[in-house]
Amino acid sequence: MPDNWGFVLAAYALAALVLFGYWRRLIRLEKQMSARTPLQ
Amino acid sequence: MERRSKETLNALAFFSLLLLFVFQFTLGPDRERLAAALPGILWLGFVLAGLLGLGRTFVLERENDCWDALLLAPGDKSAIYVGKLAGNVLLMLVVETLLLVLFTFFFNVDLAGALPALALVVALGTLGLAAVGTLFAAMTAQVRARELLFPVLLLPVQVPVLLATVKATEAVLLGEPLSAVAHWLKLLVAADVVYVAAGVLTFDFLLES
Amino acid sequence: MALGWLAAVGLGAGLLMAFGVAPREATQGNVQRIMYLHVPSVWVAYVAFAVVLVASIVYLARRAERADHVAHASAELGVLFTGLTIATGSIWGKPTWGAWWTWDARLTSVSILFVMYLGYLLLRGMIDEGDRAARYAAVLGVVAALNIPLVHFSVYWWRTLHQPPSLMRPGGSMPGMIVAALLVNFAAFSLLYLYFLAKRVRLLRLEAEAAA
Repeated sequence: MPDNWGFVLAAYALAALVLFGYWRRLIRLEKQMSARTPLQ
Repeated sequence: MERRSKETLNALAFFSLLLLFVFQFTLGPDRERLAAALPGILWLGFVLAGLLGLGRTFVLERENDCWDALLLAPGDKSAIYVGKLAGNVLLMLVVETLLLVLFTFFFNVDLAGALPALALVVALGTLGLAAVGTLFAAMTAQVRARELLFPVLLLPVQVPVLLATVKATEAVLLGEPLSAVAHWLKLLVAADVVYVAAGVLTFDFLLES
Repeated sequence: MALGWLAAVGLGAGLLMAFGVAPREATQGNVQRIMYLHVPSVWVAYVAFAVVLVASIVYLARRAERADHVAHASAELGVLFTGLTIATGSIWGKPTWGAWWTWDARLTSVSILFVMYLGYLLLRGMIDEGDRAARYAAVLGVVAALNIPLVHFSVYWWRTLHQPPSLMRPGGSMPGMIVAALLVNFAAFSLLYLYFLAKRVRLLRLEAEAAA
């Protein structure tokens, strides 16, 4: 039975991308928020 | 109320005829494929008609600015839900009967033996569809892009009911006894109970000012 | 935030378990290792949707703004993890079943949940008044959650191409290390979910305060 490491890599890479991407979005929004508040 | 029903009925009747023609064009010549696809086609027709009809549940209130009157109505607002639900179920049953008659006529399907069982399945499925549809109609009545959002919200929620009714209809049309699809019927009953209860319990929250 | 570091450690441990400790599966080969992403993902998604249900009920009962934020954030995360479940399931399916998509029980149910809660987020996006959005979303959140078991049973009865959930099969025999790896990854994903949830809720609160 072939191991299909390509597919395994693809799945893990996709998961990493998605989760990392979401985390980056949260961090970016947080920075925007804290940059805004002092100006109120 | 009268006027809305007549308008909606006309639109739905016309729509049913259209559906019929389309299905005849695509599947007419192949009798076997048609017979196999009939339950699905039938319920597709019911659901599409439902989307049209149910989506218009609160159209009068919205158009005539009666929405606030609804909000200010004294007493248990759930009664409004039940009233609208009953009206919707009735409307849908009329349209479904019409569709059914048209289908048997144009596709030469013999329903005689299966009729009581079919009626039960259709009734259960229609209640489930209308229960959620009426609730979601209230939810989307005042929202932007209402015509888009209503089917988007309703269809995924309706999948279990659709699955159950199509499978049960399939069996019934093949002449199988209702006991063969007992699990689907139980699911339909459970779904109906859950949906109506949810509607009755949460409708109030939608109508707060 | 300490939770973030904890989640990172968890993910590291998860990867170690998935590739270092868990054995090569007998029938499927190493492609089975995708399951260490796919299964924890769907479990976390269910947790997320359960949280949406509870938070929605709390909001309707108490009108606590916090509950509304939690429901919103958890729904977002639920959609994220169901999306991940579908994607990883599809990637696993191609070499295993020969097709990118199979209408098996799990993929089908998860797809329905995905669309349901996507609709939830859409509804929120379409209502401008914060209070009404919160109320309507809460009602939808309750109905959607109540629908989950119905989706499950209907789809499962309709289709059983997929292996029945092995962990819940009585007397099922999965090698201990595979179970362990699944659990560690589930813990890791759960920590990540909690970390994301905390951050997202805080962001929503800040947004609400800024708009006030």
